[in-house]
Amino acid sequence: MNVIVDNLDIHYELKGRGRLLMLLHGWGDDYHTYAGLMSELEHSYQLLALDLPGFGGSEPPKQSWNLDNYAELTAHFMAKLGLDPIYAIIGHSNGGALAIRALATGVLKANKLVLLASAGVRNSQPAKRLATKSVAKVGKATTFWLPEARRQQLREKLYGSVGSDMLAVPALEETFKLTVKQDVQADAAQLKLATLIINANHDPAIPLKDGERFHELIKNSRLEVLPSSSHFIHQTKAKEVVSLIEDFLS
Amino acid sequence: MKKLAVAVIFGSRSTEHDVSIITAISSVIKPLELSGRYNVYPVYIDKQGRWFSDPGLASIELYTKGNLEAFLARIKPLQLKMNGSFELVWPGLRPKNVKIDVAFPATHGTHGEDGELMGLLEMANVAYVGCDMPSSAIAMDKALCKSVVLSEGILTPKYVWFYSRDFSRDNNAVLSKLSELKYPLFVKPVHLGSSIAIARVGNPKELINAIEVAAHYDDKVLVEEAVNNLIEVTVPIIGNDKLRPAFVEQPLLKSQDFFDFDSKYLHGGKKTGSGKNGSQGYSKLPADLPPKLYKEAEATALAVYKAIGCSGIARVDLLIDGKTKKVYFNEVNPLPGSLYAHNWRAKGLSNVKLVDELIDLALERNISEGKLATGFKSSYLKQY
Repeated sequence: MNVIVDNLDIHYELKGRGRLLMLLHGWGDDYHTYAGLMSELEHSYQLLALDLPGFGGSEPPKQSWNLDNYAELTAHFMAKLGLDPIYAIIGHSNGGALAIRALATGVLKANKLVLLASAGVRNSQPAKRLATKSVAKVGKATTFWLPEARRQQLREKLYGSVGSDMLAVPALEETFKLTVKQDVQADAAQLKLATLIINANHDPAIPLKDGERFHELIKNSRLEVLPSSSHFIHQTKAKEVVSLIEDFLS
Repeated sequence: MKKLAVAVIFGSRSTEHDVSIITAISSVIKPLELSGRYNVYPVYIDKQGRWFSDPGLASIELYTKGNLEAFLARIKPLQLKMNGSFELVWPGLRPKNVKIDVAFPATHGTHGEDGELMGLLEMANVAYVGCDMPSSAIAMDKALCKSVVLSEGILTPKYVWFYSRDFSRDNNAVLSKLSELKYPLFVKPVHLGSSIAIARVGNPKELINAIEVAAHYDDKVLVEEAVNNLIEVTVPIIGNDKLRPAFVEQPLLKSQDFFDFDSKYLHGGKKTGSGKNGSQGYSKLPADLPPKLYKEAEATALAVYKAIGCSGIARVDLLIDGKTKKVYFNEVNPLPGSLYAHNWRAKGLSNVKLVDELIDLALERNISEGKLATGFKSSYLKQY
């Protein structure tokens, strides 16, 4: 289904019956990331999953956005649909950071929060970031004579090799930069709602220590660590994740 | 025998840009090359409206692997020359020209399938495949198309159309006009194909949201009643004067579903699952209809094709009430996605034969148009 929110065409799915759960996907992803999870949870809950602007079937924002712009959009989206209040938000990766920011600023309200390999601790790998930045700067200076297309290819190679999502959606490069600038640790510290944090012990994108940090910051939280080397634990460890979520929400 | 120079034109500024790439490469360029009768020139119009031609543009990997922009940056935009003929010009110190014998539009949606491209080709006096400018323009305006078809006594579901700006200005007036229609309703942007921004709604709130989405993409919106006990069928047809229908084909969907963009192009024709047969992988060929109803559907499709003035190729979509056995016109697609080659194949016409026939039909129409008088002796200028 589609709906126009803030003059953007937003693609979403609403299914199931029961208390309302909102699902927020990560960077470069779309709500289909939750297909498996949704087919399990729709028997007990009403599920609202949307493609955030610029991803999946939703129109990209007309300017560069940060987490606050995305948070506002989700709030306006909720208002437009006129549904019951949100019972819980489930956020994966950058969707987790968005959920933390939206809840801490009061833009969204919910009773519970589930963070799946959540992003938002932005300075947890400073050495890696610094090294990437330095290589990018040197690359920029030494490849000025190459055609723009070739330079872009090299940039994609560099950022891809270090596991950065910056060029995962080239049209949203500036939005990505604004988003990853926003560290949500201070926001997490303000959260009072019951929170379930699930992380993989060998996630290549979000280190386990980020999950541990959120656990420290969110007073009413519980951390579950799953043995996995995937960032997409809701897919690779679907059974365990569903069981943890069902138990937490019930 | 001299090979004909054929320009396959695809892409363009359209929400169906990507669908057009698939049609052009898989269903037009490859079969034309296999035929051996033609020198094929892929002509790609990018999303900004720039024209390019290069043999590399016929490779699907270029579009799927994200290398397109880099590729386009390496080649120069194409120039067109229209001097009583249609020529592609590759600019440079030593520009290269090729005179095109037949243009093969493989564009979908706006700035292409809607008659704009056909108008350009008409002015260039080059033979081209498919519906001409007026029939393309009528077919791509669902509201206009319905009124033409209705005037020929063909049934179509009860509908209302309005301008998007009228809805923004006074939605109550529009909603009151719509209140004469019975739910469930379909909301459609009038000019878009491939089921983009089409929604089936069951209540006023859904209706408003769906109208907003349709109005986001189009300046005209059509709302129509759903047909009960729905059997959806589609009939591809080729021909200028002598028409030839393919099988009446029946997409297999549940009654509450319809072929939206995702199910048509992303899910292999299924509402769910991951079929791999492309857009038409989930159809019944021929449709499972009683012989009399099958004949009626075929006859209705042919009558629609004629009423709109289609030529070359088109596909007519029909809606049948399984209980009353009434056949309703839904819409005409002047350039069916992938030419509906799978249906023609089932009918015994290979992809290669299909494009050969379409080229022949284009040449036939061009010759017959050439016979029409374009001069009229008058003394009008002498009065001045």
